[in-house]
Amino acid sequence: MSVKISKVYLVTAALLLPIILIMCRKPSDFAEENFDPRLSGGESTFFDETSKAFGHEIPGLNANDAYTHGLGDAAVEQSFVTAPAPVNSGLGPVFSNVSCISCHHNDGKGNPTAGFVNSSLLMRISIPGMDAYGAALPVPGYGTQLQDVATFGTQPEAKVNISYVENIFNYINGETATLRSPTYTLTHAYLPLPSNYLLSPRMAPPFFGLGLLQNIPQQTILSFADENDANNDGISGRPNYVWDPVENKMMLGRFGLKANTASILTQVASAYHQDMGITSSVFNSESAYGQTQYDGLNDDGELPDSILNAATFYIKTLGVPARRNVTDAVALQGENLFKAINCGSCHIPTIQTGVDITLKALSNQRIHPYTDLLLHDMGAGLADNRPDFLANGNEWKTPALWGIGLFEKTNGIPFYLHDGRARTIEEAILWHAGEAQNSKNKFVALSASDRKALIKFVKSL
Amino acid sequence: MKKIILSGLFAVTIFVACKKSGVDETPMEDFNAKKDVGITDFVNKVAIAGYTELKIKADVLNNSIITLNATTTDANLTASKNAWRDMRSTWERCEGYLFGPVEDDNYDPETDTWPVDYVAMNALLADNTHALDVTDINSLQLSLKGYHPIEYMLWGQNGNKTAAQFTARQKLYMVSLSAHLQQKATALKNSWLPTGGNYSAAVLNAGKGSTLFVKKQDAYISIANGMSDICGEVGDGKMKEPFDAMDPNIVESPFSGNSIPDFQKNITGAYNVYLGKFNEDGAGLEDLVKMKNSALDAELQSKFNAAISSFNSITVPFEKAIFTQRVQCQNTMNAINALATVIDTKLKPFIIQNITD
Repeated sequence: MSVKISKVYLVTAALLLPIILIMCRKPSDFAEENFDPRLSGGESTFFDETSKAFGHEIPGLNANDAYTHGLGDAAVEQSFVTAPAPVNSGLGPVFSNVSCISCHHNDGKGNPTAGFVNSSLLMRISIPGMDAYGAALPVPGYGTQLQDVATFGTQPEAKVNISYVENIFNYINGETATLRSPTYTLTHAYLPLPSNYLLSPRMAPPFFGLGLLQNIPQQTILSFADENDANNDGISGRPNYVWDPVENKMMLGRFGLKANTASILTQVASAYHQDMGITSSVFNSESAYGQTQYDGLNDDGELPDSILNAATFYIKTLGVPARRNVTDAVALQGENLFKAINCGSCHIPTIQTGVDITLKALSNQRIHPYTDLLLHDMGAGLADNRPDFLANGNEWKTPALWGIGLFEKTNGIPFYLHDGRARTIEEAILWHAGEAQNSKNKFVALSASDRKALIKFVKSL
Repeated sequence: MKKIILSGLFAVTIFVACKKSGVDETPMEDFNAKKDVGITDFVNKVAIAGYTELKIKADVLNNSIITLNATTTDANLTASKNAWRDMRSTWERCEGYLFGPVEDDNYDPETDTWPVDYVAMNALLADNTHALDVTDINSLQLSLKGYHPIEYMLWGQNGNKTAAQFTARQKLYMVSLSAHLQQKATALKNSWLPTGGNYSAAVLNAGKGSTLFVKKQDAYISIANGMSDICGEVGDGKMKEPFDAMDPNIVESPFSGNSIPDFQKNITGAYNVYLGKFNEDGAGLEDLVKMKNSALDAELQSKFNAAISSFNSITVPFEKAIFTQRVQCQNTMNAINALATVIDTKLKPFIIQNITD
């Protein structure tokens, strides 16, 4: 009897071993040349280089999931109107824009303006200090996000004025680049603003690939962290931990420009709530609740759970555009330079996602997001000086670089960095400071042709 | 007689089949030449031709609304309604290629946002501090300008408005809305012209230095994406959502009851793009597909025709048809989805396989 049992154990162990080995595999366990470098999103990669490159569903969805994806696709295009209305009711009364795609143009980014119909910039606002969870403190009468547009007869909370000062950056060889530095001022405030308010501009980031990023195991992300810079490379990298109102607990932040949101669902619900003034089961009272312009209507949550979940599922199941120019000698030279000057310490090229038993194309995928999802001090020039949970005023989350070379196609005119100040990838690189200072210095010291090669590589992503 | 027709059909089938076996006989230089002409004709005979017609229709609508404003009679109201439907017909066909300035510079949401904001519109009309001039219109939210607010002004909420019911403020609003639409149509046309924004150059230089279309393949894929996207928008969105929810409030263009013609013109627009024409026929994907894979061309032609003609069996306005003609609506959505599937799973791979530069 005991012999039999041990045989069963042996067989079970023998069967499980390969599975365990597969589950434990790391990207570094396999030789780079055995993989197709175009597959930025693994199985979730889509080959499309046009303006629609960010809008493709991942493969392998069953009919029901494909239907939900389609519903979500339609939902993110819906524009909301003033309540009460027969459809899409509940806009505002104060808001930033009227639909998801108004800011996330072609499922991507948009324009670094505020208050216009095609604006993609929003302003977080707070006063110094933090609440029990570490979240920024709301400005009385304003909350933690400034809504600079309003329904008819309601006053926008304030007008955001953006001005730029241009400075010339000089390379050693005499070449120059022009960097524009933004200043944000508020006028036409509907209530007096406290003098110590803190402001943080945020450009709408792209939608795609988020299901893969959500599926990166937490321990993988934490393994990239080096909070005390133990390896002495000048780069620390630390996780943000944020309060999640759905799970009702502190969780690792992955989304938002300061890793200030833990899940796609919370991100989507928060965008409906703060950007459009649409309440849902997650945020059930108006963003203007308790403010003088609260609409007082008994219509919350305005968004049915089915639509909230469909929009969340849509974003979770958008694939990643394939990398281009993978055999181009100059781009490959640029890839080597990217590694050599240590860009890849934060923009981590290759990560393995965890297991997802329902969505095969997100499960156990070898992906190339070029992010560590961690916070890094990016220097005073880029600082918003406004803490957000554990992120201090100098820190930003490393943005994924996949798809960055297609912004020009998806957006007409491309803009880069958290506030869209950079008009070219070169400008974006030159803004890097703080923990990225060494890499930036090395970039500046490269020959002109090497710099071009590195940029060509980044544009191939 | 039937037999004769059948054998005739057989002969055609065999002929087509034989032709298909000879696909490799098309000389490459012919195909390559046609590929270039296809891009030129898309720019001139489809895109610019469409936007030029749109601008002309906008002028007609604007003039008719000026007349209606001056002499508010039922006859002039009818004339304006006809001009609106006429412009709408052109715009829906222009939606067969929603890429370029129309998406980059927001012309689509600026003119064709649905739903309208009734609460805001009523407040706006009641608020005399708003001048309701074109500058004022420009500053309004998207749901307060473009085709649908004009439609609402002309038809009224229940589609039965008479000339006698116009208020002075409604007329003021309507005149400025129409002028705003005319401005947008003019700007959209100019955005493609060499004398204006010259987006044409980006397409014409596909594969020849264009940063937006590095390869000619990219331009053709964008064209095919446009065709498939509008099929998806109609078959999976504009029709499916009200149909599934059985909610006439979600139906676009409900005041005029113009939804079915709108949808049909969308698919016609996609077909035009395939054929390489808006009015005058040029070289299009049709010609390229015929050279290499006549069976695929025949399949696409038949799917387009099936989808477009299927609308004819829906004989009441769509907001009624979602209750009383559900089978016909479902058949149309099926036909559109079948067409989109062929575009996505056969036409796009054809482009990738055959247009590699």
